Amino acid sequence: MKIYNSYILTIAALLLLTTVILVALGQNALDVYYSIYIVEALVVTELYVYFNTKARRGLNLVSAVLFGGFLLILSLQVIKTLA
Amino acid sequence: MLNKNLYTWSGLGLLIAGSLLSLTSYFILLITWLTALGISMLILSFILLALGRTVPKLSPEVSALLLQTGIDNLATLVEELGIKSKAIYLPSSITNSQPQALIPLHTNSSPPVITKPLPQRLIVRYGTSPDDTGLLLTTVGTTATSMLESTPGPTSAELESALTSLFVGILGVADRTRATHHENYISVEIYNPRIENKTTWFHQCLGGPLASVVASVAAEAWNKPVTIKQEEYPRGRCSIELEVLG
Repeated sequence: MKIYNSYILTIAALLLLTTVILVALGQNALDVYYSIYIVEALVVTELYVYFNTKARRGLNLVSAVLFGGFLLILSLQVIKTLA
Repeated sequence: MLNKNLYTWSGLGLLIAGSLLSLTSYFILLITWLTALGISMLILSFILLALGRTVPKLSPEVSALLLQTGIDNLATLVEELGIKSKAIYLPSSITNSQPQALIPLHTNSSPPVITKPLPQRLIVRYGTSPDDTGLLLTTVGTTATSMLESTPGPTSAELESALTSLFVGILGVADRTRATHHENYISVEIYNPRIENKTTWFHQCLGGPLASVVASVAAEAWNKPVTIKQEEYPRGRCSIELEVLG
């Protein structure tokens, strides 16, 4: 289970660091926070190639849900720009 | 049904805390960064819940109990027969089922040549001479090889990838592996192994659990019999040298 712990700690540290940096930069748009979180989570998940099949399947489902949220934000932004 | 383990509990805790934090900060406090922090907690909770479902229900203690019982019985058998020869790890094409280890009952200077598939029995004849008799055993490597998604090819890169997937991703008993191949010899380094090394008669015959897994995977990859030439445990490492026979 060491690989699980290392993966979770990496993602938790990255998300926390991103929040601190974006707050320091004065970022106030929630969609920017969310988009960066998603990209980071997806990249780290892809980097951990040695997960077992069951874990990979579960994480793929989570990635799909998160990516769905990302697409929703993107669509809303496109609609906002076009309107 | 949720598999209640530390990952699931942590995931549920973060799910509740993240939902409360993001909703409160978005609708009442109107603080964006606090809402973002809540969202990041929700993302983590989804990941933890997904991983929690994949943790085996059987505790490591129960697994160790079952493994130790099997190993003790095999060790007794090997020691009682007074076998001193090194085990030969055979690929599934020779055993007709899964990769297994053959321990010749008589020690010969040259390794045995196995030309035809062996029957699925404990005591098998592998040659024409009356002395060509041995024990065909199921080892830790036999079971570990079945956990691999696909059989690796006969290259050091593919062997290294398969071993890393097995030791780091599936079994969680090491940090990384490295494999090199030169002619009939394969060297494998396992970094930070978390399985203790024992120097019993049985282990000298079959090799340690890590070496057994490496030999079984290598036998499958090369589709040839393999023996463990050397097994050392220098500081924070396990160094295994294999010889591909035939």
